[in-house]
Amino acid sequence: MQSRKLLLAATLTLGALSLTACGQGLGSGSTADGSGPITIGMVVPLSGSSSAIGPYMQNGAQLAVNEINADGGIDGRDVKLEVADGACDPKTAVAAANKLVSSDIAASVGGYCSGATLPTLPVFAKQDIPMIIPAANSTQLVEQKLPNVFLINGTGAQQAQAAMKWFDKEGASAVSLVDDNTSYSVDIADKTAALLKESGGPDLAGRVSVTAGESDYSANVNAIITSHPDFVYWTGYYQEGGLIIRQLRQAGYQGPIMVGDGSVDGSLVQIAGEKQAQGVFATMTQTPDTLTNASGWIADYKKAFGADPGPFSTQSYDAVRVAAKAIEDAGSTDGKKMISALEALKDFHLFSGPLTFTPEHTLSSGGFVILKVKGTKFELEDDLS
Amino acid sequence: MATTTNTGTRTRPGSDQNLISRALSSRGLGVAALAFALLFPFVIATPYALSVMTSAAIYVMLAVGLNIVVGYCGLLDLGFAAFFAVGAYTSGVISTEFDIPILATIPAVIVVTVVAGLIIGGPTLRLRSDYLAIVTLGFGEIIRITANNLDITGGPSGIFGIPGIDLFGLDLSSPAAFYYFVVVVVTIAVIGAARLGRSRLGRAWRFIREDEDAAEAMGVHTYRVKLAAYIAGAVWGGLAGMLFGVQLTAISPASFTFLQSALILMAVVLGGMGSTPGVIAGALFVSLAPELLRGAADYRYFAFGLILITVIIFRPQGVWPVRAREKERPDQGDPDPHGALAKEAIS
Amino acid sequence: MSQLIWNGLFVGSFYGLVALGYSMVYGIIKLLNFAHGDIYMLGAFGGFAVLGLLGGVIGTTSFVALLIVLVIAMLLTGAFGVLLERVAYRPLRGAPRLSILITAVGASFAIEYGVRLVAGPNPRVYPLRIGGESIDVLGARITWEQVALIGIAFALMIGLNLYILRTSEGRAMRAIALDPKASLLMGINVDRVISRVFFLGSALAGAAGVMAGAYYGKIDFLMGFVIGLKAFTAAVIGGIGNFPGAMLGGLLLGLLESFGTQWLGGEWRDVFTFAVLILLLSVRPTGLLGERVTERV
Repeated sequence: MQSRKLLLAATLTLGALSLTACGQGLGSGSTADGSGPITIGMVVPLSGSSSAIGPYMQNGAQLAVNEINADGGIDGRDVKLEVADGACDPKTAVAAANKLVSSDIAASVGGYCSGATLPTLPVFAKQDIPMIIPAANSTQLVEQKLPNVFLINGTGAQQAQAAMKWFDKEGASAVSLVDDNTSYSVDIADKTAALLKESGGPDLAGRVSVTAGESDYSANVNAIITSHPDFVYWTGYYQEGGLIIRQLRQAGYQGPIMVGDGSVDGSLVQIAGEKQAQGVFATMTQTPDTLTNASGWIADYKKAFGADPGPFSTQSYDAVRVAAKAIEDAGSTDGKKMISALEALKDFHLFSGPLTFTPEHTLSSGGFVILKVKGTKFELEDDLS
Repeated sequence: MATTTNTGTRTRPGSDQNLISRALSSRGLGVAALAFALLFPFVIATPYALSVMTSAAIYVMLAVGLNIVVGYCGLLDLGFAAFFAVGAYTSGVISTEFDIPILATIPAVIVVTVVAGLIIGGPTLRLRSDYLAIVTLGFGEIIRITANNLDITGGPSGIFGIPGIDLFGLDLSSPAAFYYFVVVVVTIAVIGAARLGRSRLGRAWRFIREDEDAAEAMGVHTYRVKLAAYIAGAVWGGLAGMLFGVQLTAISPASFTFLQSALILMAVVLGGMGSTPGVIAGALFVSLAPELLRGAADYRYFAFGLILITVIIFRPQGVWPVRAREKERPDQGDPDPHGALAKEAIS
Repeated sequence: MSQLIWNGLFVGSFYGLVALGYSMVYGIIKLLNFAHGDIYMLGAFGGFAVLGLLGGVIGTTSFVALLIVLVIAMLLTGAFGVLLERVAYRPLRGAPRLSILITAVGASFAIEYGVRLVAGPNPRVYPLRIGGESIDVLGARITWEQVALIGIAFALMIGLNLYILRTSEGRAMRAIALDPKASLLMGINVDRVISRVFFLGSALAGAAGVMAGAYYGKIDFLMGFVIGLKAFTAAVIGGIGNFPGAMLGGLLLGLLESFGTQWLGGEWRDVFTFAVLILLLSVRPTGLLGERVTERV
């Protein structure tokens, strides 16, 4: 009797739910398409250890959305950005991706942590939703050869090549690589190590891994110094990068230091200290800071959000523009047509240079340049052309 | 260890207790919960709802597994994610490297998790409570870091392309089909764990939890019995890990951090250690609350933390505690006014 | 070699300072205070806020300024510790120990993301930074600032130890650790002593937070998580509940990490540390200085 009552209660609850849920159950068809705003989705970390990056990416994307809407939208339809927190955690990211898919997004323009982005690929792929990934750039993302995945950030391999060019140009002979044991960082370090091991050019003096989120890297710094490098390349993020630069200098390392694109942020200089950070190189794609004609963009960003743009703001901005362009070219929000449009895209202008996707759906050229810290800022040192 | 204290046990008004325990002890509750789980997709079947519900179901399995260790046997385990990881990686690596259907990896998952349970449990079970806690925490970290550093496990980005479930030619990879598969497996796991808890072995576990020395004196082979709890928990966790890998199609070390272990433990304690419906409720809360709080954006984890504190302050034994410990606590004023304590809540 | 030892000792003294608070709280109410690392973070942010307020009044480079900020931050975190105990732990006195553990995890979440709400997710840079030129001592690079910080850490630890061993309040704490019920019967105000323990433990963590902020320069809302785990580890190595053990455990953990990084590489460091910990506990099940007691639950 008790059980029957409870069963009844459960059924009634469900019945009540189904009345309010407007037919989203099994058997009810999808009702999307037609008019109304076009939604573009974005999974970025807003909580957890990488939560500092999420707002930069969100704002960058929002700025592009605002501009598109101010110009009358896409074919007269407004664009709406829907952001979901992926927390750099695979499970949360998959739930976030599913949430976006459930809101019938036309394209995805998120993806920061490679490890959390990987499991979201099939979620979007099943619905043929094109993903234009602005930041995550592990080569594993494209190794799955999913038709809907496009990277608009240079890959680890491209960044490693840029780094190699600069080692050669600076006459380095023994390079130590330092990574933070996350997939993004290890990917660049692995690719660079492979290039260094090839004969000719500088040698690989040592590889050191640190644990992200700590303060004291003296033990790691000691390991770097005892490998006697004349060039140190840090491939992780700026939070740890700043500390490592400072501690390397305090420990007496005088040689050149270079950082990867995840470390290009004004905070790096602050954390390391202005004196210690002087002359630090970086491999980076073009940013508004280094582009001569981008001061207007920075001003727009500041006006809209009351803060400076940060890492991956430009890429996220570009990702939205690429998505909008694909919808325009395809003439609809149909995923398959958009993917064809993306593949056919030719010399679309991005911050990082003209965009034409390779058959692997990555940038044909990484567009990496070398920056150098002068004062409190990164400035363009060499465009590696 | 931590399940009983001799001070501050709160007794609620008798009638209330009677009502609650009658409702809890009925089998109907389980049936109703299952009915709800089975009917749910007919109401909302968006990919999001299905994915969240599937995760929640996997969480239930994890929590029920940890409940064997913590709830039944009273061993504090802060590294349960290790078994979760071992299961996920074993099935993931085997199925992607050798192109084997995922269900065929189950024997391997069981063997490897049993071995992992033996390795981790073997040297540590002679320790008690908090020392055991740090050692299990340490093992959890060792497993995660090892997975992060080895090539076979794909390093920090993990492995991807884990195939969907194919049951005798029936493709269960659509979200709804997979959800049903998970619900069935988790139901079996829950019933299995509850039955194990009531078995001879289960009584030995509870004896150890209440008083290890007395159990030893009464001829219970405490070490072997504790190891059995550890291994059972490991197998449950490992199989949940396998389901997790299939659900996400990709796994990486980021899923098996200490925080994950703490959250699973939280599910067990919040619900009520040793109580099956409680642990299920706890698991559902811990996995669903962050999703439900998504709208709260920046306040999400802040609110989550405050809710945890509040809930425990008002229900220190967990929201759904076990009604009956084998009649105990002579110092309790009103031990059992309505005879409800005689029944096991988990039946 | 001597560099490795020095690095280990320097980091270890931070671990020891945080571990001491961990161990004290555990010793008195048998609670693994998971929010303890976050109090360290609060200390760092408290010091940051105080420096911001006093920015114009005191110089930004002097050591005296650091000491003033240190004391203010210690008072703030100490008070916060008392508040935390009052709100989240005291109502649960007598509840199952694991339940209190959950409120501690809840408090940890609430503190971390509460600070994130106030201060934002970006790392902040300390306005006052110490750390100057290094000198060479027996082949190790040492800065005077490091020496001074270690000095402060040890002064705090030894001061606390004397307080516990020599004063009547300290005796009351030890009595409660042994038997809270009997202490209550003997006329000790248990609640007040426990509050005091939280004050002292949190103040030490806060001091460590300010020192870390001033020395390393970068603070963020999740900085307490890792050090909380390490303090727990250090406290267990030394024998949890034992005060000199916590210091010893902290130093030993620092050394283990320093040598582990050198021998096996940074990626295997934590595996090495935990493996040593597990081996140690299988030989000495109650840590280095922990008492061998048969536990009654």
